[in-house]
Amino acid sequence: MIRFFLSRLLQAMPVIFIVITATFFLIRSAPGGPFDADKVVSQEVIERLNERYNLDAPIHQQYFDYLSHLIRGDFGPSFRYTNRSVTEMIGAGLPITFELAIYAIMIALIIGISAGMLAAVRPNTAQDYIPMSLAMTGICMPSFLLGPLLVLVFGIWLQWLPVSGWGYSPGDKILPAITLGSTYAAYIARLTRGGMLEVLNQDYIRTAKAKGLSTSKIIFKHALRGGLAPVVAFLGPAIAGLLAGSFVVETIFQIPGLGRFYVQAAFNRDYTMIMGTTILLSCLIVFLNMLSDLLAVWLNPRLTLDAKH
Amino acid sequence: MVFETRSILAQLATDTRDIMELLNVNNLSIAFDTRDGKTQAVDNISFNVQQGETLGIVGESGSGKSVSCYALMGLIDKPPGHIERGKALFHNVDLLSADEKTMRGIRGKRISMIFQDPMTALNPYLSVGAQIIEPLLLHEDVSRNLAKQKALTLLEEVGINDAASRYYQYPHELSGGMRQRVVIAMALITEPELLIADEPTTALDVTIQAQILELIKDLQQRRNIAVIFISHDLDVIRYMTDRTLVMEQGRIVEHGQSQTVFNSPNHSYTKKLLASIPQQAKPVKFKYTPKKNSPLLSVNNVSISYADRSSRFQAVNNVSLKLAKGEILGLVGESGCGKTTLSQSIVKLINIDRGEILLGELSLHKLNTSELKQARKNVQMIFQDPYASLNPRMTVFNTLAEPLKIHRLAESSDIKKKVLNLMADVGLDPCWANKYPHEFSGGQRQRIAIARALAVEPQLIIADEPVSALDVTIQAQILELLLTLCQQRQLTMIFISHDLAVVRYIADRTAVMNQGKIVELNATETLYQEPTHSYTQQLLSAKLSG
Amino acid sequence: MATDSLQQYQDVVFDQGRSPWQDAWYRLKQNKLAIISLNFLAALVVICVLTPWLAPYGYETQNLALGASGPSAAHWLGTDIHGRDLMTRLMYGGRISLMVGFAATAVSLVIGVLWGAIAGYVGGLTDTVLMRIVDILYALPFMIFIILLMVVFGRSLLLLFLAIGLIEWLTMARIVRTQVMNIRNQEFVSAAIVTGLSHWQIISRHIIPNIIGPVIVYITLTIPSVMLLEAFLSFLGLGIQPPQSSWGVLISGGVETMEEYPWLLLFPGLTLSATLFALNFLGDGLRDALDPRATSD
Repeated sequence: MIRFFLSRLLQAMPVIFIVITATFFLIRSAPGGPFDADKVVSQEVIERLNERYNLDAPIHQQYFDYLSHLIRGDFGPSFRYTNRSVTEMIGAGLPITFELAIYAIMIALIIGISAGMLAAVRPNTAQDYIPMSLAMTGICMPSFLLGPLLVLVFGIWLQWLPVSGWGYSPGDKILPAITLGSTYAAYIARLTRGGMLEVLNQDYIRTAKAKGLSTSKIIFKHALRGGLAPVVAFLGPAIAGLLAGSFVVETIFQIPGLGRFYVQAAFNRDYTMIMGTTILLSCLIVFLNMLSDLLAVWLNPRLTLDAKH
Repeated sequence: MVFETRSILAQLATDTRDIMELLNVNNLSIAFDTRDGKTQAVDNISFNVQQGETLGIVGESGSGKSVSCYALMGLIDKPPGHIERGKALFHNVDLLSADEKTMRGIRGKRISMIFQDPMTALNPYLSVGAQIIEPLLLHEDVSRNLAKQKALTLLEEVGINDAASRYYQYPHELSGGMRQRVVIAMALITEPELLIADEPTTALDVTIQAQILELIKDLQQRRNIAVIFISHDLDVIRYMTDRTLVMEQGRIVEHGQSQTVFNSPNHSYTKKLLASIPQQAKPVKFKYTPKKNSPLLSVNNVSISYADRSSRFQAVNNVSLKLAKGEILGLVGESGCGKTTLSQSIVKLINIDRGEILLGELSLHKLNTSELKQARKNVQMIFQDPYASLNPRMTVFNTLAEPLKIHRLAESSDIKKKVLNLMADVGLDPCWANKYPHEFSGGQRQRIAIARALAVEPQLIIADEPVSALDVTIQAQILELLLTLCQQRQLTMIFISHDLAVVRYIADRTAVMNQGKIVELNATETLYQEPTHSYTQQLLSAKLSG
Repeated sequence: MATDSLQQYQDVVFDQGRSPWQDAWYRLKQNKLAIISLNFLAALVVICVLTPWLAPYGYETQNLALGASGPSAAHWLGTDIHGRDLMTRLMYGGRISLMVGFAATAVSLVIGVLWGAIAGYVGGLTDTVLMRIVDILYALPFMIFIILLMVVFGRSLLLLFLAIGLIEWLTMARIVRTQVMNIRNQEFVSAAIVTGLSHWQIISRHIIPNIIGPVIVYITLTIPSVMLLEAFLSFLGLGIQPPQSSWGVLISGGVETMEEYPWLLLFPGLTLSATLFALNFLGDGLRDALDPRATSD
């Protein structure tokens, strides 16, 4: 266990380091700086701003300065929003994005797994075709299309639910969570169906039938753990995708989460903010991948932590 | 659920007459829907099983022997399967028409099953113990603790030492033989009246097979349960059963006391089956007469090892042997003994760590690329699995023409003639040349593979278990073909098999391998009649004979 | 048995075999949804290729007097706020969307197949190193990088191909590697080695023909995911640069005005979804057709 964590940590370090370095030089090699947009300010002011934010130093100097601050846990001040530090802004945005992501993944898992199981139990019947067609619709209806359509139908035409915000009015969390979760529900449904079908064809399911077990016992006791293996393997990438997807959903529903900050920061050349969010998201993804590997090992006695990589 | 099951059991139990007949199957017919229409898997069969007897069902693949027993257990998927008609009375319950609830009360409680492959029959996600006590907890009102006690006793009884710690292990931590013991314990824990054993030893090595058969026989007698024993292996059926049914293409062609069926068969198919078992020594007409000449192949002190995760595994350990031209050497051993590794090194599919392999004067593992290509012409290999050894996307013609083109053995105008000749030589109709492997049966595919090996006119052929994936009648044909070809073309062959009878039939000399070493090498008949090494003796005594 | 003259074989009548491809095509033809999808996609490709000649209006032709109007006889799918014909714009947008889909898939195909095939065929240390690199790249938050890339270097089509292709090849490499390793361990490859074929002959005759199936399936599933990615970036304002247009750009524009002119969202959305549907159904159908085991359940 400890060896697993240590080796994963050792693997994660270079990844994070590459992310930091690549992002740092990528944004600085871009034309334009953080203060270009403000046409009104004079050259003198820009120089002073550059000096204040350490932008006049040679680039490698800036890089090492940034790293040394980072090690102390300081993401620096936001270039865009004076008087606010990146840490502060992340602290405000992260819980919202996290909450949204958790609702979405819950929706995706609950709907996806039950739909996939229903389909797998009676393949090639209506019980299979209907949920799977819905799943295909979910995959072909990306969040940036589904979101506006949901807003149009439930927010504007029917006026059942609020169309924007997060935690301002009752029910305003419903549409964003569904929008973000639906695509993943669809993928999970397909993966569950595939995994369950494969397991249900195994000899040991026949053994279980020969013991006199009922269909539901066979499914829940003998098939589910093996059948969910593909879903578990998908969880890591899914959560990474979910975080990226939150950019769109947060933009559509005007939710002040991390994703929206990131997109804005990218447009505004808010260097420190970009760096902060990128690093944070990378760490999250690495961490969540590790969790999904742990889960896979926990579910399957044939895997051991050391054997994986 | 427990309640309902019990009431059914009570109803069954009222039938207290001391009947001898446990199961009566009448006019059973089963069909399957396939892409090419309906296939009749079982065609109007009737049989019965008496209390405490062992009934054997023997037949080749596709004969319907397993399907009919799966139907009794309600294990056939419908669709694509249909039970067209028939009755199977077990204590006045028709197993074929009973509702699911009744069947659940019977399955695993009164009728249990043992399956062919212990590697896949156990759920890899659950501990051995949990799987053994599952039928008991399901069908009887016992506490988990009591169930565990019972399971531990039973594990000891089926020959698993250290049952208490094995109980918590997972299937992948046990060997194949041990897993089959677990499956048997699982089937017997509810003390069923009828046990269906579907090829329970086919996936096991011969020494393990003997132990498992002995165990089943012993348990059957001690507990006086009825057993339906399904196998393609006539020796096993003869050894295990009181009565035998012979099935061919869904029909029972012969039935009777096993003694009678095997000693004086009536039906022509039974006779053919029995004649296909290689029982006798090599036919005299194929005998090799030793000549004084230099060996064609010399394997000198060869060692091969694999890097395992943490350690190195010595697969072949300091092995030496010599083959003269025209000789057939049998190489026998159980799985993991190194026989396949050794054979692959002779065709240089894998490298050797030490020693040398001489083909005539050439040291095979010291050649450069172009020399090696030349040398490959002289050594060819026939593989075990006729389904995997042919490229599915090449026609027979292309498969057979490829070696001719690679080694420029024929003018392009001659290639067609050569390929068609080859096909005829191995008993394939030349007009099939444009067909693809998946359109052929297993035996036909093996003929294609043999033709491919012969295409370059090699001196030495390595045949790695070439008949073990085939049915016994096909196996006999392929063996006959190999012997004929070897004689006609003066071929030298190393014939690798786990099947002692087959090797005895085909080989002039036999080498026995165990744990990477050749423990005994002698003229075949001498070795079979007077084995000197203890491992050879163990192998030979594990072999069942009538 | 047979030592006959050449003459005898001059008139052998061959039974015509069915190749695995023909079998697969037969199975695919049984799948109505897949065939409908195939026809739909073929029509779509033809329309997009011929757009400059088929389109009823000019791409940038504005009719400010008309403004946004709903579907009518003159404008089947209506017009946008500048009075531009929506159908024309959808057709031109489709050219871009499909081009991005195909081109980025091609990029991922070339890199992924080479990378995966080398790793799978050579094996050993080479395999370990190559696949470890893929593992590391997998862990990178690529979406973040792409967004950054598009913001920083401007929204060029070429960059978009490269950026998307550079993510998608990772999965392709893994799939190809697994396939190659499976095939390489088959006995018919051993037989080919024993026959004396060179590595290149083995790869070209025995390995490639046997991995084409899974690769085709993966291609049909990659194209929709690439198109989705392009639409996603366009929606965020990071994809294709106006006046060029893609379905993603049209959807993004449609969202802004969906309250007043819902058709500007619905038609592009429907077109994109239908195309993705067709590609996915075709991919599923191909997977079932090329892998006979998949249909057995």
